[in-house]
Amino acid sequence: MGLIKKFPVYAEKIPGGGIATTTLEKVLHYSQACSLWYLLFGTACCAIELMCTGASRYDFDRLGMIFRATPRQSDLILCAGTITKKMGPRLRRLYDQMAEPRYVIAMGGCTINGGPFYYDSYAVEKGIDHIVPVDVYIPGCPPRPESLLEGCLTLQEKIKRQKLLDWQEK
Amino acid sequence: MTQDELKDYVARRYEGRMTLLDTGRVEPMYEVKASQLVEVAKSLRDDENLRFDFFCNLGGVDTREHFEAVYSIASTINRLRLDFKIILPREGAEIESVQDIWPASNWYEREIWELFGINVKNHGNLTRFLLPDDWDQGFPMRKDWDAPDFIRMPEL
Repeated sequence: MGLIKKFPVYAEKIPGGGIATTTLEKVLHYSQACSLWYLLFGTACCAIELMCTGASRYDFDRLGMIFRATPRQSDLILCAGTITKKMGPRLRRLYDQMAEPRYVIAMGGCTINGGPFYYDSYAVEKGIDHIVPVDVYIPGCPPRPESLLEGCLTLQEKIKRQKLLDWQEK
Repeated sequence: MTQDELKDYVARRYEGRMTLLDTGRVEPMYEVKASQLVEVAKSLRDDENLRFDFFCNLGGVDTREHFEAVYSIASTINRLRLDFKIILPREGAEIESVQDIWPASNWYEREIWELFGINVKNHGNLTRFLLPDDWDQGFPMRKDWDAPDFIRMPEL
């Protein structure tokens, strides 16, 4: 809980009152980073690891990450699995339906560059960054749940670091 | 009818039209000339002793010298299986559609047309099937085809 540790740095207590002041930017981005609802987008075996991470042993919920079945309620696409050339336009369409600010995590080798099996295939897109902008890449085939959690924490750090006006540029 | 009886029967009945190939497999594999495909296929289906009424598969093979179209058919009535292939030149490969005999061949013919570039006469609906609709990068199942976005390993 970074905010509580750094609370004296961020907030300035006014003498005689129970009021703390901080900036809108900090509060907004903190709350945003701690409620990343992700779109279920498992297209291959990485989705099995994603399910495992979502289940009780690794427990995504403690990061405030809850899966959503519609892009309109999601902040994040966790793109888990091979994206074929025919799936590419559909991924783009789901991404376009999400409300801003929106983020993408590329999970596994297939989403990074086509993967260890399909690198010479005619049917597989060689990396989803040809279709949507990617914030965090998680290598592995498939990545272990620890890697996925690490990737999500990295994305949270990235969100907390950003400035309010960055939204317009994304 | 056992496998040996089937071989004997086909050798007698289809002499000169179907040549038995030595593949070492249990099920017999025959070669059929492209010009006689429709006639032989119709005969295989309608023959009272064979009744090949079930179309299992149509696959393409690229051996670098020539193409092959491999048909697998079965008889649900007489419980028989049989494969036959057509050897085609690499330039201008063309087969006749067998949709009138086995309607199930429609999608398979579209598939080998799309992936191997083997033209299918009298098909009626040769449109993109598995590849993206705007595909213009050749025939990916041919041996001499290379993925345009192939990522090569760097020299170490």
